[in-house]
Amino acid sequence: MPLRNGPKWVETWNRKFHIYIGLYLLLFVWLFSISGLLLNHPKWRFAQFWPQRKQSSFERPIQPPMETENLAKATSLMRQLDIKGEIQQITTHPEKSQFDFRVFRPGHIIDIKADLDTKRAKISQIQVNGWGVFRALHQFSGVRMNDPKEKRDWLWTRIWSLSMDAVALGIIIMVLSGIYMWYKLLAKRRLGLIVLGLGALCCGIFVFGLGFLP
Amino acid sequence: MKPIRIFSKSLYFWIRELHLYFGLFISPFILIFAISTILFNHTFKPWDKARVQETSASVEIPEGVTGGAEGLKPAKQILRQVGVSGEISYLRYRPKQNRLIIPVMKPGQEITIDVDLEKGAAAIKRRDTDIWEALFYLHKSPGQHNANIRGNWVFTQIWRWLADTVVYLILFISASGIYMWTVLVAERKIGLILLGAGGLSFLLIVYAIVA
Repeated sequence: MPLRNGPKWVETWNRKFHIYIGLYLLLFVWLFSISGLLLNHPKWRFAQFWPQRKQSSFERPIQPPMETENLAKATSLMRQLDIKGEIQQITTHPEKSQFDFRVFRPGHIIDIKADLDTKRAKISQIQVNGWGVFRALHQFSGVRMNDPKEKRDWLWTRIWSLSMDAVALGIIIMVLSGIYMWYKLLAKRRLGLIVLGLGALCCGIFVFGLGFLP
Repeated sequence: MKPIRIFSKSLYFWIRELHLYFGLFISPFILIFAISTILFNHTFKPWDKARVQETSASVEIPEGVTGGAEGLKPAKQILRQVGVSGEISYLRYRPKQNRLIIPVMKPGQEITIDVDLEKGAAAIKRRDTDIWEALFYLHKSPGQHNANIRGNWVFTQIWRWLADTVVYLILFISASGIYMWTVLVAERKIGLILLGAGGLSFLLIVYAIVA
């Protein structure tokens, strides 16, 4: 294949990185692609998970946490109840000594309602099937765009969100390295430009064009 | 040359060609999804220059105004009257207050139409959003919520089709990439190590989160 003159090592390593990153990220890319497809088609019957959810609830004795800060209190209760996941939606009712919060991790939604006076906690758990886990992994970042106060508090949420960044960054590098490899192929340049231009035009219409419609 | 060899050479050629051109076509889409992922993940917007504009209009109330999927047709008639286009996110019908609220979304704009069904008056609030919000919107569009009414705008349907196509092409590109890598004898060992390392780290993280 005719190559344009350029530093040979750049071409070699660009190609190597394209292959290596692609191979390393393969399963991550498949997960995010297929789960994206499922999120795009919430009506697909085979991937339904909410109607098949399993619900259970039980009570456990607890020791009222000594901590004063809400997140620390929730963490202490989780340790006592052997529950792990990302803490969400802490609600306090000081007048009733009630301390409620939700713990989430893909596949599990756990609501904890702790009565600090009676030293008992009611735990309600929802467990969903593999499709539910699949979809939740796509969105599991521990933060929300419309809630700037929410912070990641579970180590594995941080690791997963770091993986999301790595996958996104990795595929950006793959896109750029792919474009570079194509650009070096003189014989493919014209058709490639048409195809790339078509993709860019489609995206351009959606990103910039539709806002101009009334 | 043996026929099998000719076939595998021609197969390799076509797979390589399709890998290249499909990859080029979806490159801009992948950039949209990847960049918005990083921004989502850090709840970060490089700048925020949303502009709000409020107007009002009188409308002729069509028959059958209600919430949910049944209310979509009259809601679209109201949109046409007030000159608004876009995807209706949901319909909030308040019969006691005689009000219908129609939030409409599209990349670059968020519009809320608050209709007083008794007076036949609509208050229209337009929020012009920036490129980052357009990326966020496209990443999530049409979305998993309100499945009964989503895809009520032709461009949302087209985007859904394009996003699906991107996924299918990603799957093809990754499979064809693996095929082409297996042909490269010099890269086989290191590739196998990386494939294994990536697969193992993926499985370990997912196991730690889910189990």
